[in-house]
Amino acid sequence: MRNNPPKIITYLANLPLNLLLYATLIVPFALMIYLAFLAWNPAAGINWWEAPFTGVNNFIRALSDSRFIAALGRTAAFVVIVVTIEFFLGLALAYFMLEEFKGKKISLSLIIYPLMLPWVVVALIFYLFFQDYGPMNNVFLKLIIGESAQNIHWFLSSTTAFISLIIADVWQWTPFIFLVMYSGLSAVSKRLIEAAQVLGASSRTIFWRIQLPLIKPLVLIAVVLRALEAFKVFDIAYVMTGGGPGTSTETISLYIYRVAIEYHDISYAAALSLIVLIILVIIIRSFIWYSFERGVKR
Amino acid sequence: MILYLDSNNDCENLFMPTARYNPMSEKVEGKISRRRFITASIGAGVVGIIVGAAGAWLLKPEVVAEKTVTTTLTREVTKTVTATAPITVTPPPVGLDVVAQRAIDGVKSLIAKGAAKPGDTIRILHVAGSRANLEKAIELWSKYIPEIKIELITLGQEPDVYTKAMSEAVTKAGTFDAVTIFSTWLGDIVEAGLARPIDDFFSKYDPGYTGDIAPIEPLASYTTLYKGRRYALVFDSDVFTLSYRRDLLTDPKLKDQFRSQYGMELKLPDTWEELIKMAEFFTKLNLTAPSGGRVWGAYFYAEPRFAAYITWLNIFIESGGILFDLKTMDPKIDTKEGKYAFDVMLRLKPYMPPEAITASWADLYDKFVKGETVFTAAWPSLSKEAHRPTALVKDVAGSAVLPGVEVDVAGAKKIVRAAPNPVNWVAVISNYAKNPELTYLFFQFATSPDIGKDVILTGVILDLFRRCWFTDPKYRPAFEEGYGSEFVDAYLRSLEISFPDLLIRGGPEYLGKLTVNVNAVMAGTKDPEDALSETAADWDSINKKYGVDAQLEAWRALANLFPSDVKEVWRAKGYM
Amino acid sequence: MNHKIISKFTRYLVIIIFLSWILIPVLWMVTLAFKSYPEWRVAYFFPKEPTFMNFILIFEPKQIVGMMGATALVDPVTLPFINSLLVVGASTVLSVIIGFFTAYGASRYNSPGPFSLFFTLLTRMLPPATFVTPIMVYYSNLKLLDSHLGLIMLYSAVTVTYGIWILKGFIDQVPIEWEQAALLEGASHLQVVFRVTLPIVKSGLVVSGLFIFLLNWAELLFALVLTNVQAVTLPVHISKYVGAVGQLYGPQAALGILSSLIPVIIGYIIQKHLVTAFTFGMVR
Repeated sequence: MRNNPPKIITYLANLPLNLLLYATLIVPFALMIYLAFLAWNPAAGINWWEAPFTGVNNFIRALSDSRFIAALGRTAAFVVIVVTIEFFLGLALAYFMLEEFKGKKISLSLIIYPLMLPWVVVALIFYLFFQDYGPMNNVFLKLIIGESAQNIHWFLSSTTAFISLIIADVWQWTPFIFLVMYSGLSAVSKRLIEAAQVLGASSRTIFWRIQLPLIKPLVLIAVVLRALEAFKVFDIAYVMTGGGPGTSTETISLYIYRVAIEYHDISYAAALSLIVLIILVIIIRSFIWYSFERGVKR
Repeated sequence: MILYLDSNNDCENLFMPTARYNPMSEKVEGKISRRRFITASIGAGVVGIIVGAAGAWLLKPEVVAEKTVTTTLTREVTKTVTATAPITVTPPPVGLDVVAQRAIDGVKSLIAKGAAKPGDTIRILHVAGSRANLEKAIELWSKYIPEIKIELITLGQEPDVYTKAMSEAVTKAGTFDAVTIFSTWLGDIVEAGLARPIDDFFSKYDPGYTGDIAPIEPLASYTTLYKGRRYALVFDSDVFTLSYRRDLLTDPKLKDQFRSQYGMELKLPDTWEELIKMAEFFTKLNLTAPSGGRVWGAYFYAEPRFAAYITWLNIFIESGGILFDLKTMDPKIDTKEGKYAFDVMLRLKPYMPPEAITASWADLYDKFVKGETVFTAAWPSLSKEAHRPTALVKDVAGSAVLPGVEVDVAGAKKIVRAAPNPVNWVAVISNYAKNPELTYLFFQFATSPDIGKDVILTGVILDLFRRCWFTDPKYRPAFEEGYGSEFVDAYLRSLEISFPDLLIRGGPEYLGKLTVNVNAVMAGTKDPEDALSETAADWDSINKKYGVDAQLEAWRALANLFPSDVKEVWRAKGYM
Repeated sequence: MNHKIISKFTRYLVIIIFLSWILIPVLWMVTLAFKSYPEWRVAYFFPKEPTFMNFILIFEPKQIVGMMGATALVDPVTLPFINSLLVVGASTVLSVIIGFFTAYGASRYNSPGPFSLFFTLLTRMLPPATFVTPIMVYYSNLKLLDSHLGLIMLYSAVTVTYGIWILKGFIDQVPIEWEQAALLEGASHLQVVFRVTLPIVKSGLVVSGLFIFLLNWAELLFALVLTNVQAVTLPVHISKYVGAVGQLYGPQAALGILSSLIPVIIGYIIQKHLVTAFTFGMVR
């Protein structure tokens, strides 16, 4: 056994990746970092390479920007709620889908269909759905709570608007968690399960004590990736509520979009993005440390 | 499987390799140590700044563009003066107006001089809604100048056009020769260096901005001038008018009922106060619309994506409010005029459907066309839609000038009416265009009295703006057919009392922050007082960001172009 | 016995409930595609006056001049569709290939170390809105604006991290003893990779490929800013369906159905691998 990786493997494992990332992303990324330290705006009439260096002013401004902090907190709450719901729903669904039954193939294809729709179309479907003239109030809630369903204005109050966004996101992305868990769970060695069954374990015990722990790393990465995507939620917020009422459903992505594109304050937007980036990195790192590395101390 | 390799079942292999080919090394190379992380991040930041600054040096696009513009300009002018050989001009086909003819002749002479070549392409960045219009313009253009081609770069949403235009201002790539923009963006586009001043072309080719064929003032001026210089050609007008259901307003039974309930006549409202009463009346009747839905008394914009400011601004200006102090550029919106505007809107709220506050701007159109609103206000395209054969209010949609506010002017009470002109498409020539003169001529052609008429009537989002289209019997019938005759009259009057969007630099930002706060007030999540003071504070910081003096200069120039009624009130109040 | 019947019943119940929850908005979209303007903003599902106009429209835009609410003339959907297939397909393949090699090195040799791996997650943490201007400046200097190559590069760079992480999970599960055995028998390292590891994680390639494909297929913001006419992709095209009466929901729904056909076809083809992902463990 050798101590060093063979050269060919090192090249193949590192070179293409670095080439791709560096050729495509590094320069714009560095540019973005640079912009965050400038006080620049295209409408200021000067070119970006001539703009004044302003150090950490943008960052200080961000810390006292209540709209930014609010958007950050709101998005964090959204992510936690949405990922939790999707996790449990995906888990439950994976549990029920594990064994063979009639119509399984079709069910599987149908379950993952939401992932295949363009996000703008999903957003407009739910926009129409939750309007006062839409089916949510007039068909479904009517069945459940009768005429008073007409009094619910989904987008008029911050809470219900927020809930409508959650519903839209859960609808679209639960299949993702489900798919990962389902793939992972199906992969657990049948022999293991048979062995456990021989030893008298019930299917529920098998599920909770054997299969789940085995796919823990896979589930973790799925949750992390989903959380990262959820943090960037934009389409549904933009189309369904427009950030409203007021700014009460303005997610961080929507706010940064407005700063960058409506207010054209690119330097400030870059600073905001960097702050978000740093926060995310810290959170993800801590989360992973918490889930894994502290276990090692045993 | 993981099980076999993970004997202590702690799943430590997320970051570490499952089994390495060097199992002897038990270093903690697998773990990400905190120190390493922080150093790396700071390092990345520093490297980023250095690379960015270096990139700044290397990635500068050539600054040739500016120089070329000035030199071409001076050369052109001298050439025309010393030209001796007469340029043969094809005799005008019957019916082509002088403005279009001048444009055609201009292009032909450019080709003759070699300044433009057959096969040259003009590229225009525009929004999907105007595609039909532009294609019509291209069709007519190719009848006269088939050798110059036009290529359309179409984008779906307006913010995308803004983004692309501003990106072009940064990259200077020459992606397009002209762009149709909202007049609201004029300040930003000019200050970013994208818009080419076209005073020279105006004086050389005369696009017909004086006399009977001229686009209606004050709109013609305030949508094309910035700090006193000309940067755009009027391509559209977007003045709001009041649309209403004539059948409900003229129904004798309803008139009686209203008279007995409110002690006044049911007619077109002159003031917002009157409109509130009528809206209340109709909403409480709970009538059924032709679509089967319920009839609401009113629907005025209050939505958060961009339109909420329009209603507020309308009432604010009519009350005699001024957005910024003309001497200091202090925002003057948290004044009694601002509060009154909110007062009116909040009193209207119970008589408007909730969609006014939450749904996109298109829902207003939908509701009126289905007959579910009695009073509403929107762009001229609303009248166009309401007159389609498939519209449910086709025979009963009426148009009028928006109601005003009763103001005390020098002791006398006067009803001041002013109509907002939000957005408004104008054509801007890019500073990085390959052939600015040729591009300009296309737009002069496309906005001329004859060609412009066809262009506007073909599509939906561009609307009429030349006086002759309203008054000249040669043109008027075509527009009456498209919009309805009541509309044409009401629109002419509205144009004459129209006021601009805030098109100084940062316009979209000022208005964006105002919209979000207006929507918050209407949704009930914020107090009008707080909303106004917060918006004023936001506006203050925008002022400072761009330089108070620069903004003041632009604001003063713009305020001067407001309609005379409004300026009179400002003078009476000491604002001007 | 009872236990089994009840649990069978619960399973069907749960799945049917979930499927209905999934399918109701899908039904809304499908019925929307057959509705004309007056029926877009209604509460009922099935159109009272169904029409094929929306579908005709997306292939022949000129047919609808004058139709209520649908006067935006955009190009037919064929070019954006082909562009999307090309760009997304190519970038998916690229991401998966590069992801595979990187994952192998990371899994077996710690070769991009865990630190660099963590760094690749960064590409997913950026709000695109701020990244847009810098990348526009960069691409315009490289003359990559409105080019297929530019988009392919960007899409690959941004989604390669999915490939790496998912494939690493799969490769981690391949018992290293198998590779060692092959090495002992005289295979070169490359042969080990291609002959031993690759066939086993084929399903992993397929799973990550699907996810990457789905992500890129729906990507809007970068495509919007970086393309003009030639490299326009499907999501950008959908966003162009705006008329005088706002967004044209009917045609957009029709486009949504059309757009989802490709991922569905791909998903169907690879379903074998999805379902049996990881099950190589049975062999052991």
